[in-house]
Amino acid sequence: MSLLLIAIAAVVVNNFVLTYFVGICPFIGVSKKIDAALSMGIAVTFVMTLTSIVTWVITDVILNKLNMPYLEYVAYIVVIASLVQLVEMFIKKTSPSLYKALGIYLPLITTNCAVLFVALLQAMRNYNLVQATVFGFSAGVGFTLAIVIMAGIREQLEMADVPRPFRGAAITLVTASILALAFMGFSGLIAA
Amino acid sequence: MTILLAAALMGFLGLAFSIGLGIAGKKFRVEVDPKLEQIEKTLPGVNCGGCGFASCAMYAEAVAGRKAPVDLCVVGGSAIAREVAHVMGVEVSDEQKDKLIAVVFCQGDSEASAFPGEYRGIRDCAAAVYSQDVSKRCKFGCVGLGSCVDACPFDAIHLSPTGIPFVDAEKCTACGKCVAACPRNLIELHPLKHDAFVYCKSQDAGVIARKVCKKACIACNICIKAAAKDNNPDAVLLDGSLAVVNTRNYTAKAEYGEKCPTESYATYINVVNKDKVLGRVRKPEPEPAGTES
Repeated sequence: MSLLLIAIAAVVVNNFVLTYFVGICPFIGVSKKIDAALSMGIAVTFVMTLTSIVTWVITDVILNKLNMPYLEYVAYIVVIASLVQLVEMFIKKTSPSLYKALGIYLPLITTNCAVLFVALLQAMRNYNLVQATVFGFSAGVGFTLAIVIMAGIREQLEMADVPRPFRGAAITLVTASILALAFMGFSGLIAA
Repeated sequence: MTILLAAALMGFLGLAFSIGLGIAGKKFRVEVDPKLEQIEKTLPGVNCGGCGFASCAMYAEAVAGRKAPVDLCVVGGSAIAREVAHVMGVEVSDEQKDKLIAVVFCQGDSEASAFPGEYRGIRDCAAAVYSQDVSKRCKFGCVGLGSCVDACPFDAIHLSPTGIPFVDAEKCTACGKCVAACPRNLIELHPLKHDAFVYCKSQDAGVIARKVCKKACIACNICIKAAAKDNNPDAVLLDGSLAVVNTRNYTAKAEYGEKCPTESYATYINVVNKDKVLGRVRKPEPEPAGTES
């Protein structure tokens, strides 16, 4: 039950993008087309889940044993950077078309604060390994959900007659804020 | 002691991950065209988009796949084009594109075109044009808020003290970012070696144009007549209430503007460092007069 709660909380109630406002860069950058957004979401989900697991191991096995929690940030960044490199190699080998679609945003997952946030939050909340895995995965699903919804809206926006000064990033940010307002409706669903 | 331990720990982590990545790198190695890597190294890598591709890497890929010509890089110009051509093993024709530069077609600064009001909105030309037309009297002229300056990735365009952008010929790479940024379409790319333009885009009738700006083109036809007298009737054309230098042949000469009553027909307004650059680029081939592309 608590696993389900963690999942729901991470996907909708405390959606990373729309409640915590982390990971805005790819959220704005790759949300032009639904399929690219979906692949970005999947890549981020993959990285987040792996990060969550690996950082849990590092925190629990090394950092806590040595009583050095202050190394969290540095260690996590190293983990994330390496994992993203790994994912990039893997995607480049297995699916060149996906690699092309993600373009510059794939290496940018390295600096995606949402990924670091997952690692930090699961450490802060003292999750066990299973909880951390579920948390990382559902945070990624939440990110995917947000970015795909955004991409759907932006595809429609292409057709809309947007005033010139609002075109591009401006109307995107306005849309994002309205989406965030909508997601506030979930708050109070569970206290998490 | 703790510090040493921390350093050792991070060093160990880094080492472990780099070994892992090294193994993975071998395992997932993708064979790429060695030409591609060479071309990528040759290109400037600023990702300005001037070639029409989203990044230097994408352009390199297109060149390596023989889907794009070797001389599209506007930043590198002919030097880079020659190197890329060398990598690809093709001859680059000597008809290199001459260096282009952004030309700002307005002289309506705060002295020439007085401000009837003060614009207090956000410092963005498009926003000013959209919200209220109070920044300058002329409704075709430069707004003077410097959106082109913000758009330039090369720090090549700046606002003069009187509020008109000027271009540094040395830094300008003709990537076209400022062209897109100007809400009034006042910036165009033209060959640096050509040196006479009508620096105005006002379509107001002469009477009005003169009222709103001291340096507006009033379509008095003096430059056109001068061109006709010089046996070169195609050099300057009349477009509505505006004289326009024919950019199909670029044969207009500076002296056609000698008698321009408003000084709108001029040479190299809004450009600095032009001579410095012109001394460096190769002498342009003498073009047969009147060739139309």
